[in-house]
Amino acid sequence: MKCEMCHNAEAETAITKETAGDLQELYVCQACANKALRQKDSESVPPATGVPSLPLMGMIMDAAFEIVGRALNRAEPSCPVCGILRNEYRQRSRLGCPACYEAFSKELDSAIFDLHRASRHTGKAPEKAKAVWARKRLEAQLDEAVKAQRYEEAIALRDQLQKLDGPKDEKKGGPA
Amino acid sequence: MMLKSEFGSSSKKARPVASDDIAMSCRVRLARNLAGERFPDWATERDRERVFSKVREALSAEAPALRVSSVATFEEQERDVLCESHLISKDLLARAAGGGLAYAADGSVCVMINEEDHLRIQGFADGLDMRKAWQTADALDTRLERHLDYAWTPDLGYLTACPSNVGTGLRASAMLHLLGLRLLGEIEPVVRGLERMRLLVRGIGGEGSEAAGQIFQISNMDTLGVDEAAIVQRVMRICAEVVRQEHNARVRLIHESPLVLVDCLARSLSVLQNARLLATFEALEFLSAMRLGASLGLCARLKVQDVDKLILLMQPGHLQKGMGTAMTSDERDEMRAEFLSRKVANVKLKC
Repeated sequence: MKCEMCHNAEAETAITKETAGDLQELYVCQACANKALRQKDSESVPPATGVPSLPLMGMIMDAAFEIVGRALNRAEPSCPVCGILRNEYRQRSRLGCPACYEAFSKELDSAIFDLHRASRHTGKAPEKAKAVWARKRLEAQLDEAVKAQRYEEAIALRDQLQKLDGPKDEKKGGPA
Repeated sequence: MMLKSEFGSSSKKARPVASDDIAMSCRVRLARNLAGERFPDWATERDRERVFSKVREALSAEAPALRVSSVATFEEQERDVLCESHLISKDLLARAAGGGLAYAADGSVCVMINEEDHLRIQGFADGLDMRKAWQTADALDTRLERHLDYAWTPDLGYLTACPSNVGTGLRASAMLHLLGLRLLGEIEPVVRGLERMRLLVRGIGGEGSEAAGQIFQISNMDTLGVDEAAIVQRVMRICAEVVRQEHNARVRLIHESPLVLVDCLARSLSVLQNARLLATFEALEFLSAMRLGASLGLCARLKVQDVDKLILLMQPGHLQKGMGTAMTSDERDEMRAEFLSRKVANVKLKC
C-alpha cells in the first residue's frame, strides 16, 4: 500500500490527523509520519505563551504513542500491504487484505490445511488472473534459464512471452 | 416482492411432492474479493465505497437487469424483510457504509457487496436443484470477472477474508425440514453423521442460529482442494440421502407412532387457532408441525406452500410491512397470534 500523504513510498505506519475537527487515520511512510509529528509539534506551540494547550498536547502524545507503539510492534509479523499485525487478524479471525495470505503464510498454510484437509486449489480460475500468473511463471523461468546460461531454453521462453503480447505487437508493427 | 429464496414457490410441479416438501430451497454462494483492496472488515469507509462503486460499474455493464441498492438507503422495515428473505445478512446491515445489494426481480440471484467479502454472489433454486443454483451464480461470476480483478492465486484459488472460505469460495447449502426425524428421536445421530462427513449443520438463520422449527441448513465445510462441481454434487447427494431418511421417518411415524404424530399436529393447530400472543420462535415450531401435517395430507384446507408463506409473513419485518406500521415486540406477538389464528381458522385435521 502506498503512503496516503506522499503517494510515493510504501506505507509503514499509521498516524491520526485532524481535518476539520475530525480525526482521520492515515497509512503513511516513516518520513511522512515524522513530518506530520513535527508539524503537529510546531502547530501546538501557541506563539503567545510558548506552552501547548492541553487538548493539543494530548493529541500529540496520542500520535506519538501510536507511532512508537506501531514501531515497537514491528517485531511482530505484519502485512506489508495493509499493515495489520498477526495478533490483530488472530483476534478478529479475518485477514486484512489478499496480501496477508503471503505475509502470514508460515502459520496460515497449516491452519488452511487443518480447515480444509487440502492445501491446493482445484477448480475455477478467472481468465485475467490466469494470464497474469502464466506470465509471472514464464518470466521466472526465463530469469532462471538466463542465470543458468541455458540460452536455447531462454529463447523459447522469451518467444512464449512475446506470444502473450502478440496482438499488441502486430498492431504496433502493422501498416497504418 | 416474492422471491425464490423465500420458502416455497410456485414452480414445484415437476418434482415428487414428498422430496420437495422436505428440501425447501437451496442456494450456492461464491465469495469473491478484489485484488489490492482491503477486506471489508479492515477497510475504511472510503475503501468500501470505492469497492462498491467498482462492483456497481461491473454490474451495470454485465448484469443491467439486477437492481443495485446501497444498504444505507434501505429503511429499517425493508432491511428486516430482505434479511428474513435471506437476501442480505445481519453482517451486511452492520456495515452500512459501502454495503450494497444487487438482486434479480425473479429472485434467482443476488450479490451482497462489502459483507464479509467484497462480493458474495448467491444463486437460488427450489428443492435440491443445487446445480441450477450453481449455474446461475457461476454465470454471473464469469461475467463480472471480465470487469473486476479478483484476488486469486494458482495455489489458493480465490482469496477470502476468512481462510475457511479460501479456494473455490463456494458454499452450497440446502434448507431441509426434518421434523419427522425429530419426533422419532433420530435427528441427533443424523446431525452427527453429517458433521462427520464434514458438512456444516445450522439453523434457519445460518451461522450461529438454532434449528427452529426443525428446519436445518446443511452446507459444505471444505472449499479448498475440491472443484466446484464436485462440491455441489456431494452436498446434493448427501442432502438427498437425508431427505430419504426423513421420508422414511414420516412413513414410520404414520404406521408405528401415529399417536405421537397426531398429538403434535393437534396441539400445534390448537395453539395457532387460539393463542393471543405468539413469539416468532414458538410460532415457527407450530407452523413446522402444520407443514408436516399438510405434507402428509392430514390437514384439510392447508397446503405446504400456504404454510411456507405463513412462515415468512409472520416474521417481524414482513409482519410490520403487511400491517403497514412499525410495532413493538409485544405488539408484534399479539398481531402475529391474531394473523395466524385468522389464517388457520378453517383448517381441520383429518385424523
